[in-house]
Amino acid sequence: MGAEFAKTKPGVTVRSLSFPTDQWFGRVISAINTNTAPDLIFNNYERVIRIETQTNKIMDLKAALAAVGDKGFLGEDDLRVATFKGKQIIIPIQRVQMALGVRKSWLDKHGGKFPDTWEEVKTLAAAFRDKDPDGNGQADTFGMALQAAKPRDLIHMLDLFTFGSGLRHTLIDPDGKITIDQPAHAQVLEEFLKTYSTYKFVAPDTINHSFGEMYQVIEGGRGGMFRVGDWNVRKWDGASVLNGDFVSGPWPKFAADRPNAVVIGGMRGIAVPENSPTKALAVEFAQFMLSKAAQQASLENVGAAVRKDLDVSKLSERSQYFAKAEHRLVAYDFPESIHSFYPELEAAFHRKLLSGIANPPADWKAFIAETAKEMRDLAAKLKG
Amino acid sequence: MGNMSATLDEIWRGRIFYLFVLPFAALTIVFGVWPILLSIQVSFTASGTALRPTPTYVGLANYVSVFGDPIFLASLTRTLIYTTLSVGANLAFALGFAILLDSALIKRGNLFFRLAIFLPVVTPDVAGYVVWRWLYDRSFGALNAFLKMLGLPAFSGLSSADTAMISLLIAELWHHAGFYMIIFLANLAIRNRALEEAAHIDGATTWQRWRYVILPQLRPALVINTVYALIQFLKTFTVVVVMTKGGPNDQTNFVSYYAYQLFDQGRYGEATAMATILFGIVIVMSMSAYVIGERGANR
Repeated sequence: MGAEFAKTKPGVTVRSLSFPTDQWFGRVISAINTNTAPDLIFNNYERVIRIETQTNKIMDLKAALAAVGDKGFLGEDDLRVATFKGKQIIIPIQRVQMALGVRKSWLDKHGGKFPDTWEEVKTLAAAFRDKDPDGNGQADTFGMALQAAKPRDLIHMLDLFTFGSGLRHTLIDPDGKITIDQPAHAQVLEEFLKTYSTYKFVAPDTINHSFGEMYQVIEGGRGGMFRVGDWNVRKWDGASVLNGDFVSGPWPKFAADRPNAVVIGGMRGIAVPENSPTKALAVEFAQFMLSKAAQQASLENVGAAVRKDLDVSKLSERSQYFAKAEHRLVAYDFPESIHSFYPELEAAFHRKLLSGIANPPADWKAFIAETAKEMRDLAAKLKG
Repeated sequence: MGNMSATLDEIWRGRIFYLFVLPFAALTIVFGVWPILLSIQVSFTASGTALRPTPTYVGLANYVSVFGDPIFLASLTRTLIYTTLSVGANLAFALGFAILLDSALIKRGNLFFRLAIFLPVVTPDVAGYVVWRWLYDRSFGALNAFLKMLGLPAFSGLSSADTAMISLLIAELWHHAGFYMIIFLANLAIRNRALEEAAHIDGATTWQRWRYVILPQLRPALVINTVYALIQFLKTFTVVVVMTKGGPNDQTNFVSYYAYQLFDQGRYGEATAMATILFGIVIVMSMSAYVIGERGANR
């Protein structure tokens, strides 16, 4: 993409540096705070929020976006997940879509119908666990591959179930109300927790699994249903990984009257620090990233973009599913952009849910009611 | 004035020594002491402004918050329990093996056993712990496959709150005990064997010779191993990151890892306050162990 931009700007070189996420935070924050800022920052929206919180020096890109003529492909949700406290902190360039994936060969052995409702998912998960779908004669497969170890791991999985089932908030709404004991939310939460415990759909060690271990279960051919991110497809199409043996679709329905969806779990975009050494050029680059050429390159290299008028013919069937984005999309609510105390609340929520998974209660409904009360008390304390 | 002149004279006489030491002293200050001081400084600032050029100082508020946090207190208690158990287990195992390898009991294959026990020390810890995680795995781990073959019940390992801590302890024992054993073996090699012969001639039993002649001579190794093990296990981190991420149900959420979790949430002030508290505990405990050991030696 840098090369594409350089073509239009002779003499300009775009050089990118990548860091592991934990190092990325420290380097970017210290660079901006010591006036040695990079020209541009590229990352997920919620990570840019942390940079803005710590530096207060991320440029408002509203005017820059307004100056882009061709931007009709950006929806309301896309812009919402690019704005923090009234400031547009990123130009959104890659929508992060997450669908439910099912091992195709296993699915074919069990009817071939992609599960639409939660009841169908449960039936399929039990079959994947009990009926030796890989045919190796051993009981070494699981209905689902999920993760739980860190707060973001578990709540991220719950987010997929929640938003995928058409609900709009996992834990707290924009007004600060805890939502988990509202009937529709409580139903999803209870089934989600049972997936890890009572139903035994996941590997017994999942309580300690983070991304790495979850991917081992998926790529090692032991999980039947899993999360597929648009960025996963290229790798999983590879012959040495899943060899394209998966099919994607929306998350399951929990209620007949509530349509299900593929989840927009984030938005990657370009941010410009106020003290960027070449600010005007940096803004131009950010705007350029919405052009068809840049978006096409993004789609082909990363598997994600925001434009819908791109040439998808070279992509695999699995990648096309995301690129065409013809399914219903529901975006995360990103409560950390509204409630500054959210990470602490989420950590407490995670701790409570893990205690339930580790020692499953006899009455999940009472457990959820108790959790909701604890979260309300904590939210009130943190707000104060 | 006279004192100052004498000091300057002494420095001048040792100028070559100081010249050679200077680069290392500078490196220690820049990369060792300075980050610690910065971390302590951050512990007195509001998290939201901690990494800004002009942070807001909040006095002891982060320390008050940390000591009022029941999760931190539970984590601290758990860290102290784990440290006590680990130091005891590692030193006992290392001493036992050192004695065995130093004795005439294992003549054949002595070098093999020394290597086998020391090899985990030089194995990259992350790689070692990943293998241990697989060994413990409930669904395909070798440990449970072996227990199943023997008709024994499965070991919950890392997936149960009741067995996670002991599982980590065993993995860390595998990784560290060889190091302590080498220190004990070195100390055993330089002990005065004439004293044992004298005690033997005086009619001391095997136990009495160990208790009253050999063990006192192992005091230097015991002190250094205890201090080193205390520092090591109070700061337990890598094994948690690789194997349990503090779970299940917080049972392996030790202070270092809890502080790291707070970093992840952007709670820099509280995280560095925890790190500072742990630093203080490490200093106090290791100094105490050293002083107690030295006092015993001078008795």
